[in-house]
Amino acid sequence: MTLAVPLPPTVPAPAPGPLPAQPGAGRIPGSKAMWVGIFCEITEFALLFAVFFVARAHHPEAFQAGPERLSLLAGTGYTLMLLTSGWCVARALHAMRRGDKRATVRWMLAGFVFGLGYPAIKVFELQRNFALGLDGSAGVFIVSYYYLTFTHLVHVFWGLLGMMWVIVRTGLGAYTPEEHSGLEAFACYWHITDMIWLMIFPLFYLLG
Amino acid sequence: MSPERKIDLAWLMLVLLSVGGAGIARSDANAVLVAVGVSLVMAIKLRLVCNYFLELHEAHPRIRRAVLAFCHGMPILVILTTAFGDTLSSLTGALLG
Repeated sequence: MTLAVPLPPTVPAPAPGPLPAQPGAGRIPGSKAMWVGIFCEITEFALLFAVFFVARAHHPEAFQAGPERLSLLAGTGYTLMLLTSGWCVARALHAMRRGDKRATVRWMLAGFVFGLGYPAIKVFELQRNFALGLDGSAGVFIVSYYYLTFTHLVHVFWGLLGMMWVIVRTGLGAYTPEEHSGLEAFACYWHITDMIWLMIFPLFYLLG
Repeated sequence: MSPERKIDLAWLMLVLLSVGGAGIARSDANAVLVAVGVSLVMAIKLRLVCNYFLELHEAHPRIRRAVLAFCHGMPILVILTTAFGDTLSSLTGALLG
């Protein structure tokens, strides 16, 4: 014999349609595809950082003396350029959300100009380094420095190309306050690239 | 305070920390202490970018957790590899032959 326990009449039936969003569930900023790319980028740099730490553990003297050989002014300059560029992109996103497309384009152009400061400083730093004999044969610290910073430079170039594309599309009116996932996806990529630089900068220019 | 004002203040903090972090590194303190100071500054800067530029608090929990693990893991690794560089060297030396 089974006992059937009836539900109390106060229990409401589940509502039809999509479930309401759970508090704290969040969303995917930009697009899924961009986040796949971002996690590939993070994985790539995580591996390069692992190589850096192993090389540093095996050659502590070379890495301790390393930062003195690099230009701290150039390293700080890269950091300030990327941070300011990221700030402009964040302001552009907010301008788009409130529907001010002209301000969005202006902030994006400012972000592009500051972003260009990164390769511009790189040219001057490379000239300085080569004049001081800091090329690929200058030891394990300098080799580590070149492979990590050049990989980051490639990502900055991709970001600058993406930024040009987003500026053009914003100017053509492709984004609206309701739908600007392309702009947001680019902003995510640019901020992550910025964050990776914030990790590289102290490793080579401050700690060694 | 408007979101734009918060972004402006975050940027100002980031600039000040970038300049201040260089000062910590050029001090004559013990290597591990310098690594702790520089890592702390790094962690604060990464958190500022996550919160105010990337707006990570609005992101899906998996994205949030993965990015935060990367951001928190890096400063911790800097400290650990500075404090236990010899151990890492002997471990990887044994693995690499």
